[in-house]
Amino acid sequence: MTGVAAAVRSAVLVGCAAAAAGCGRAGDAQTSSAIFTTAHRSVGDAARDFFGMRPKPVQPIPFPHKTHIAKGLTCTDYCHESVTKGPVAGLPSVKTCMICHDAIAADRPLIQQITNMQKNGRDLGWQRVYGYTQQAHVRFNHAPHIRANVECATCHGNIAQQTVAERNVDLSMGFCVNCHKQRNAPNECVTCHF
Amino acid sequence: MDRRDFIKLTAITGTSATLASCGNPEHQLIRFVPDDELVPGVAEWKPSVCPLCRAGCGLTVRVMEADADVVRNGQAGVVRIAAAKKLEGAPNHPINQGGLCPRGQAAIQLTYHPDRITQPMKRRGARGAGEFAPVAWDDAINELVSQLDRLAAAGEQSQLLYLTAPRAARRDAVVAAFLKGFGAPAASTIELFGDDVLRRANAISFGREQLPTFDLARSRCVIAFGADFLGTWNSPVAQNAGYGAMRQANPHVRGTFVQVEPRMSQTGANADQWVPVKPGTEGALALGLAHLIIANKLRPADAAGRAGQPIDGWSAGLTDYAPVQVEKTCGVPAKRVERLARELADLKPAVAIVGGAPLAQTNGLFTALAVNALNALLGSVDQPGGVSFMPSDSTADRAAQTRPLDWQKLSAKALLLDGANPVFASPRAWRVREAIENVPFIASFGSFVDDTSAFADLILPDHTFLETWTDSVPESGAGVAVVNVAGPVMRPLHQTRATPDVLIEVAGKLKKPVALPWKTFDEMLKGSIPEQAWSDAEKQGWAEIKDARQRTGGSAKAVPPRASGTRVTTPTFDGDAAQYPFYFLPYASQAFFDGSSAHLPWLQEMPDPLTSAMWSSWVEINAGTAAKMNIAQGDLVDVTSSQGTVRAPAFVSPGIAPDVIAMPVGQGHETFTRYASKRGVNPISIVAPVTEAETGALAWAATRVKIARASKADGSLILFAGEMRERPHEEEIR
Repeated sequence: MTGVAAAVRSAVLVGCAAAAAGCGRAGDAQTSSAIFTTAHRSVGDAARDFFGMRPKPVQPIPFPHKTHIAKGLTCTDYCHESVTKGPVAGLPSVKTCMICHDAIAADRPLIQQITNMQKNGRDLGWQRVYGYTQQAHVRFNHAPHIRANVECATCHGNIAQQTVAERNVDLSMGFCVNCHKQRNAPNECVTCHF
Repeated sequence: MDRRDFIKLTAITGTSATLASCGNPEHQLIRFVPDDELVPGVAEWKPSVCPLCRAGCGLTVRVMEADADVVRNGQAGVVRIAAAKKLEGAPNHPINQGGLCPRGQAAIQLTYHPDRITQPMKRRGARGAGEFAPVAWDDAINELVSQLDRLAAAGEQSQLLYLTAPRAARRDAVVAAFLKGFGAPAASTIELFGDDVLRRANAISFGREQLPTFDLARSRCVIAFGADFLGTWNSPVAQNAGYGAMRQANPHVRGTFVQVEPRMSQTGANADQWVPVKPGTEGALALGLAHLIIANKLRPADAAGRAGQPIDGWSAGLTDYAPVQVEKTCGVPAKRVERLARELADLKPAVAIVGGAPLAQTNGLFTALAVNALNALLGSVDQPGGVSFMPSDSTADRAAQTRPLDWQKLSAKALLLDGANPVFASPRAWRVREAIENVPFIASFGSFVDDTSAFADLILPDHTFLETWTDSVPESGAGVAVVNVAGPVMRPLHQTRATPDVLIEVAGKLKKPVALPWKTFDEMLKGSIPEQAWSDAEKQGWAEIKDARQRTGGSAKAVPPRASGTRVTTPTFDGDAAQYPFYFLPYASQAFFDGSSAHLPWLQEMPDPLTSAMWSSWVEINAGTAAKMNIAQGDLVDVTSSQGTVRAPAFVSPGIAPDVIAMPVGQGHETFTRYASKRGVNPISIVAPVTEAETGALAWAATRVKIARASKADGSLILFAGEMRERPHEEEIR
């Protein structure tokens, strides 16, 4: 099995390089969602993606989750309010921040940075922390998990102790399947994969 | 190649990257809906109603700021608006209970579709050429008013024909009031996969002219005759929820499920037992089961009560339907019939479901009555785990009729199209296209130019469901009477107007004005819904109607049971069996249903659940038959009936009887946006104009065909995965 896996992996690397070299549009593949492709910008990207090595997300501001949770805000209050309703949890915009920070801590440098962003009509370009690669063919939906009373921390770790959100839970297939088994949730392939 | 290999191969070779540069839509994922992932902002969730079928599922719509292409004052531009981004099932809705089917999910593409009609238009080129020039709303409305005035001046008000898409909604009441006031006949509905045969049967058997609701969650045994109840039939989301509970909610009891149909549907693929049966003999099998239950004294014949009366020989124990006879008629081994009867009687509660192709035969009413009688015999009517009828919203009228039109004798002087597409959804033999071409004036309210509205002289485009007041009156799928009504969730993107409001305006502008009691559609809605329900609906998009009654047969009076049974018990087919050796089975597509959603690219690119085909038409052929005729997967095949020929690639399947040829309905539009125009073929075009004997409904499954290999594969069969294989299975008869 190991031999086969290694062969497939090396073939992936070679194949991706060939695709990237042979097709001018392949380079844009990661940025364009209009086109279904598994190709990567470079061999290095392909290799990192294949081994699950993703660059650490760089967020527009070092948002202190723990400060906000300590003040009694919950995840779903303003920032991730769609989590109970649909697949996407939702991300706060500068407007969301300014609901409170118009008045609260308005003199702090970070808050002023956000205030300026709003004045200049710019918004926060958050980067993805969790999520699945295209090849995983997984479409995750938050809402049914929240409805089944799965804690946010089950998949996202203890955010109350983090500043910017960090990826510290390995959302492997085994992780999902085990939890589904324990909770008697459906485990058919198509439950998660498309 | 199976799915796993496909994924590996694309990873290895970067095939898809190469394909992406070819420019064919089938190699792309087409979105054109504002992004909803990784977008900062606060979302508002607003209620709405799914417009894509009659099930009446409630929606909750994610609305956020987004840049959208809009038309304002005749100017196109990009404006930041509060835009709908994602549809979900409304949580706690009595019918869909938070779920939504793929068609519902894709409905959002209606609003953002690049080929949507953005403003009123007048025909410019020849009729049917699809060339239109924009006009102002005032001019468009004046044009319609003057055409109607001309009709009225000539005393030809009765020559106005209003064709509407199948929907059950209070919106129909505005149309009905307008037509009545003008002096025109009631609106007609074109509904290819209509259920009028079943409604009629239910009126006869149970006194309720209505589609049934099933308590699958509490059933222990379900036998379905041709009904694709997990895919396309009746209220699929509600039925899926119930089915899931039946199979998995109780860790100790897993309900048994038997599907009887000659071609394995998505529903059949879920069954414990799939029983292929000769088309049109489903009723005989149901009576064969009833015979054994009565003969073995498992239930007395009179337990069926009123529902047994329309069946000849019921009280005598149905002696004509002994297992040996049933084997001969239906092609189901006698031993298997015996085993099924035992299971139905042992596993309580048990319920039988009938719908789809078996009722689209010349003996459809007989089949429906037979299954109804079986249900009554099993004691499953109005019982937990059985079949019941949703209390109907007594405050709503069923205004629109499904009136079969005689197209040859069509004498209409003016035609108003409200989302109906009869040119596509009718057999070629009805000559609908020719009849429509002869109508002097045609106006369309639809949002898209389709096969029929391509002939329009004037287009007054409606809002989409997200931009307007929308409502529906569900007929089945819940235990309580439900009304769905919701306001617009976003501002209209384009210069469109709500059709009911346009009708109200036109009514007032006629030379002899039609007095309608409302100024706007929402005023009409508010006035017709009880106060408490209205305030509930404002919050959640639906409400329960508390004082609901059971709907009875057509009028307030129950239909009396018929003393004698139906005359037509055996099916007849168009086409001589020697010349046309195969039964032809067009079926409702999971993605396109009757073809009305073929213009939505998310549905075009969705692999069919069984074949994994996308963006294409195909012909399902039994593997043995294909081998005999030297037809390989993807080869082009001519399917010929007495009415004509269609050519499509072959899909070789183990899940279809050797003498049946099946094709999905939905593709083959002449005109229907850039995504569906001239893509694939329309199997309905070669269906013979045979009708169900007692109701006059189109018997779309009563045509025979022959097939011939035309040429080798040309790549038009686009599969996501690979072929279907039959796996070794245990001995069929235990």
